Amino acid sequence: MVQKYKYNQIKIKNIEFMFGVFTLIVSLMIGMIAADKFQEMHETETLYPSYALTEISHLSDYNPNLKNTNGNTEIYFFNSDSAGGTVLILGGTHPNEPAGFLTACLILENLQIKRGRLIIIPRANNSAFTHNDPQEGQPQYYTIEGIKRERIFRFGSRITNSIDQWPDPEIYLHYPSGQKLAGNETRNLNRAYPGRADGNLTEQMAYGIIELINKKNVDLAFDLHEAAPEYPVVNAIVASERSQLIATEAAMELQFEDLIYSMEPSPYNFHGLSHREWQDYTQAMPILLETANPIQGRLRGKTDVSLLLTGRDPMYLKAAELGELHVPYDSAGISIEVRVGRHLSAIKTIIDVYSNIYPDKAVEIINVPDYEEIVSKGIEEYF
Amino acid sequence: MTPEMVIFLVMLGLFVISAMWWKLPIGVSLILASTAGALTAGEGIPVRHLVEGSFAYLDPILIIATAMIFMEVLRKSGALGSISRLIIIKLHTKPVWLLIFITLFIMFPGMITGLSTATVLTTGALAAPAMILLGIPALTVAAMIAMSAIYGMIAPPINVPAMIIGGGVDMPYIGFELPLLFATMPLAFGVNLSLGYKHIRDVNLQKILPKLGKDHYEKYGFKLFIPLIVVVILMLGVRIIPEYFPNLGVPFIFMIGSLIGLFCGERMNFWQVSHKAIQEVMPVIGILIGIGAFIQIMTLTGVRGMLVIGSLSLPDIWRYLSMGTMIPLFGAISAYGSASVLGVPYLLAFLGQNEIVVGSALSLLTGLGDLMPPTALAGIFAAQVVGEKNYFKVLKITIIPAIVTALWALLMIYFANLLGSFL
Ligand SMILES: [Zn+2]
Repeated sequence: MVQKYKYNQIKIKNIEFMFGVFTLIVSLMIGMIAADKFQEMHETETLYPSYALTEISHLSDYNPNLKNTNGNTEIYFFNSDSAGGTVLILGGTHPNEPAGFLTACLILENLQIKRGRLIIIPRANNSAFTHNDPQEGQPQYYTIEGIKRERIFRFGSRITNSIDQWPDPEIYLHYPSGQKLAGNETRNLNRAYPGRADGNLTEQMAYGIIELINKKNVDLAFDLHEAAPEYPVVNAIVASERSQLIATEAAMELQFEDLIYSMEPSPYNFHGLSHREWQDYTQAMPILLETANPIQGRLRGKTDVSLLLTGRDPMYLKAAELGELHVPYDSAGISIEVRVGRHLSAIKTIIDVYSNIYPDKAVEIINVPDYEEIVSKGIEEYF
Repeated sequence: MTPEMVIFLVMLGLFVISAMWWKLPIGVSLILASTAGALTAGEGIPVRHLVEGSFAYLDPILIIATAMIFMEVLRKSGALGSISRLIIIKLHTKPVWLLIFITLFIMFPGMITGLSTATVLTTGALAAPAMILLGIPALTVAAMIAMSAIYGMIAPPINVPAMIIGGGVDMPYIGFELPLLFATMPLAFGVNLSLGYKHIRDVNLQKILPKLGKDHYEKYGFKLFIPLIVVVILMLGVRIIPEYFPNLGVPFIFMIGSLIGLFCGERMNFWQVSHKAIQEVMPVIGILIGIGAFIQIMTLTGVRGMLVIGSLSLPDIWRYLSMGTMIPLFGAISAYGSASVLGVPYLLAFLGQNEIVVGSALSLLTGLGDLMPPTALAGIFAAQVVGEKNYFKVLKITIIPAIVTALWALLMIYFANLLGSFL
């Protein structure tokens, strides 16, 4: 009897042990499958700069602390033969806003430059391209069947990868203003300006960009974004005190092409934003552009690559009927062509207005499509 | 029926079957339900999504686990008992002040961390034994702690849901102090006095003293409280003078406190203590991981969008009702998630009202989410600190305070402009 009891005891212990081992193996397998998927995101997509390219440097040239970190990123210089001004275009501040990144890539791969100089940083927050926002269920990649080659681009996160910067404080104290924001905004490049040379990784990136603007005497600087269609600042040009004039004039010209933009002044009391701090810490005229992007919105339905590229969504259609949106929205959606096209037309118009007002600082780029052209031909035409 | 509705019903159905019928742990049931939802939506078994979603709670999990170890160390060292002793002996003759002091004492960690769980597990656990000895029933004590923890999380200076809601519309976290005090303090004092006062009107110290147990304070003196003081200093320091304080993170601070605690009172075996703490907290960690995957699949398949649009599309009067119910209900999944997913659209729907007051009130509603099962973090841990296994018994007592809180929040929104001119 005692013998049998002991035997049963051992048997139960064995079963428990085996179940433990089994659970461990299953967890490891799940972990490995997921880790492999996450790891893939660290492979940078190849870009094919146009022949106008004169130099590639890195953000670490402007903040050496970024060397050998995931915060480092390429800076593409396009110098013309004739003197003029310098324009900077930032894509990928928020890698979950694909139109900003794609616009920078499209210009980079197609442009020719006649006057002045253009600097492009397509992946401003390189680290944020290497992961996705948990609980957003967004795709890791999207494909564009370009006429030259098939292109697979990454869809990333709004903020720096926590592998590169962790843990977040419970509260983000912006440097140097001391402004308080939710802790994870510590990893938001567009809340980190002017940054610090030896701050956290995101602050280091911001500092590098400020240094670049100052050292290369950038005259006009664009930060390309997208926003949820229910967000009040959408289809907007945000300008600071210095850039207000050219932005207003450009918005009027764009209106003639039926591209409606709202003009938003850079708020005085909200710190860390590119336009606010570029105004205060550099000589450049800052411009931030927003288009409406359903896949980053809170009202969206099924979250997939098709939503990313077409912007078509039955939930947003209902939201539009309810009057929740700040942009016109119908069953046609808001395609990636519309969003990239708006960015392209706005950039071209603002550069033109600037060049007219400051002829000795003029910049002239060609071979970049405008809204009309990309909407009729499709984005595939340019990749 | 829309495909989103079908997926939602499949997920809910499998969750209920798995948790109630098969009696599987809630965390496991949530993962099964998420997988079923993904399969129904034709997404296969999206391992990446399941893992990615659960990572949203990595930080809260570390905080909860380390806070639990810290509390267990304080219990074993004798610090917990000594604090109860001191509170009772010093304040038993002034019941109103005693309750106000206990309320503020419990709320304090929530006010500086913005976390309700950190509150329940630290000062909540410290105050619980004293409150029980004073004669308040254990379940009422748990309810008082849970409610105070929620008010603490919403009270200034740190209110993470308000920051999340504000962040969604680019509103800086400035000028929230008075509206948030207005949103929390009257409720906190009112709820705790109405729940507790009748039990402690006349306390007989001589009857209680023998029950207080050994006086560790006599033996170890001030040393007992060093771990607690170190934790408070480290948490406050990084907020008040961030230039001079490293950002250690809450989990690391709790671990430092735990290690110091080993040398500041009764001896203990650290491995046994931490083993016990982790074992107690494991089911909650499981729920958080499951919930993370569940939300990710709801978002991926469009169910989340359906729920948000559904609650926004109600007519005006119903909109208040839906706010008062949907935000706390969604908070069952997580208060922060609710702030982001529902809090932001609702704030947008009320643009033009005083946005700071509306945002403060919405954050109060998200706080109530910590009372909603299955997660009910504040409720679960409050039950745990008074030794009650069934947290539904605690939640039952919080129903009326929760309804009062929701009404308070809705009134704040309705009178936002009026309040805004005063606050
Ligand atoms: Zn953005």
